[in-house]
Amino acid sequence: MDAVHPSAWAFVVVALGGALLSVSLRNILHAIFGLALALFGIAGLFLYLGSPFVAAMEVLIYVGGISVAMVFAVMLAYSLGKKEGGSTRRFLAVVPVGGFFGVVGYALLRASFAVTSKTGSWDLKLVGRKLLLDYNVVFEALSVVLLLAIVGAIIIARRDEKTGDDKTADEKAASKGNDAASAEERAS
Amino acid sequence: MLKTLSDLVPNVFLAMLLAAAAIMAFATVNALFLVWLERKVSARMQRRYGPTVVGPFGMFQTLVDVVKLLSKQLISPKDIDKPLYHLAPIVVFVPVVLGLSLFPIDKSFALVDTNVGLVLVFAFAGMGFIAIFMAGWGSNNKYALLGAMRAVAQNIAYEIPLILAALAVTMIARSMRIADIVEAQGSFPYILVQPIGALIYYISAVAETNRAPFDIPEAESELVAGFHTEYSGMRFALFFLAEYTNMVIVSMVATSLFLGGYKGPLLPGPVWFFGKVYFLIFVMLWLRWTFPRLRFDQLMTFAWKVLIPLALANLLVTATVLKVMS
Repeated sequence: MDAVHPSAWAFVVVALGGALLSVSLRNILHAIFGLALALFGIAGLFLYLGSPFVAAMEVLIYVGGISVAMVFAVMLAYSLGKKEGGSTRRFLAVVPVGGFFGVVGYALLRASFAVTSKTGSWDLKLVGRKLLLDYNVVFEALSVVLLLAIVGAIIIARRDEKTGDDKTADEKAASKGNDAASAEERAS
Repeated sequence: MLKTLSDLVPNVFLAMLLAAAAIMAFATVNALFLVWLERKVSARMQRRYGPTVVGPFGMFQTLVDVVKLLSKQLISPKDIDKPLYHLAPIVVFVPVVLGLSLFPIDKSFALVDTNVGLVLVFAFAGMGFIAIFMAGWGSNNKYALLGAMRAVAQNIAYEIPLILAALAVTMIARSMRIADIVEAQGSFPYILVQPIGALIYYISAVAETNRAPFDIPEAESELVAGFHTEYSGMRFALFFLAEYTNMVIVSMVATSLFLGGYKGPLLPGPVWFFGKVYFLIFVMLWLRWTFPRLRFDQLMTFAWKVLIPLALANLLVTATVLKVMS
């Protein structure tokens, strides 16, 4: 194995540190900012591995998009500052988390990472061709998943609206910029 | 041939230091100038004089203001979310510094040159919203929080038409390298082939920088000052600096994508480049002092029901025309 440049270790430290922060912090907003830090570290690793396009996309979509959307969703849907999760729940979480870790770890250990080209430049045209010609079925399947997610979100949101759930009332008030509702929620 | 800083300065760390110093210096001087310009332009549009006392045409007024800001006591409110409150002014400044380095200011020079330059610009712009949220949440102030929520809702909405408009240009230029896009605009700038795209881009850019008529996040008549209500002294100055530098960045993108960047007859490249950039900024100031602020629902409706469909249609037409012509 080749020696790893010290700058790559810096990215590893950022990614792992952010990941640790995101699972250990009690405040859910702090956790999301930790996640953003971790994703930023991963973007740095992609850069180190010679894929500036993937790195840029990582920052654009995950750091700038997904993290912001998560913070936004938390602000709208979650009672701010409320601490959740008792000890039993945390214990139960071990099962799926351990299972997922096991499956991913097994797959990673079994897979062989053949280095095809180390210096080859990741041309944007190449990425585009691969995505839309070689892997177009996967690409389309992913967009169907996203469509399902959108439809699901709409269904959940509309069901809440009918039953007149408290949460949605706050949500509406907040999204319309109604000062009072949010402020009271924040103060309590 | 396009040269970058790393070609001129072989030592990587020295090059990074130089670039950071140059960008910081530019950002500071630019903000000083723009604050003065904004006050002058607003004054002239309202039949006033604006600053006149300190220096010629009052040009050193902002310099004196900065001295005041530097010497001001930093006030932190009680019950703030300490890490987020203190991090926010720093985090808001990082993407701004990174973003400024990506533009070719002449045929032969750019600080950084990468084949995904355009993606990086938008990626860095996205990081700024996180800082706004940190500030809004960390301040423990309802106005700050509401301002931050508005800022993010608005930025998510306007980022889509912004990127779609830029995408149409990359399809014509067949590259995401900013230098290539500028070079691809041979004898005419892309604003002539993409007039709708340019308009969509510019409107969205004004919204992205949270400026009037889209300055809902800091609407002073409703929210005191929005997400930076609780910041004083230099912390406030950093937000201010970031806002004015962001205006420069979006104008630099617009210049590179639609106005032919550094290209122009007679005068040297950098003069054309910065001339176009500051012209676009002047138009932004002009808009701010001409139009009243939109209501929040009008703002969101305009993004989702007008700009995004229009940008998608523009993209589709561009793609079709390109396919037919090729």
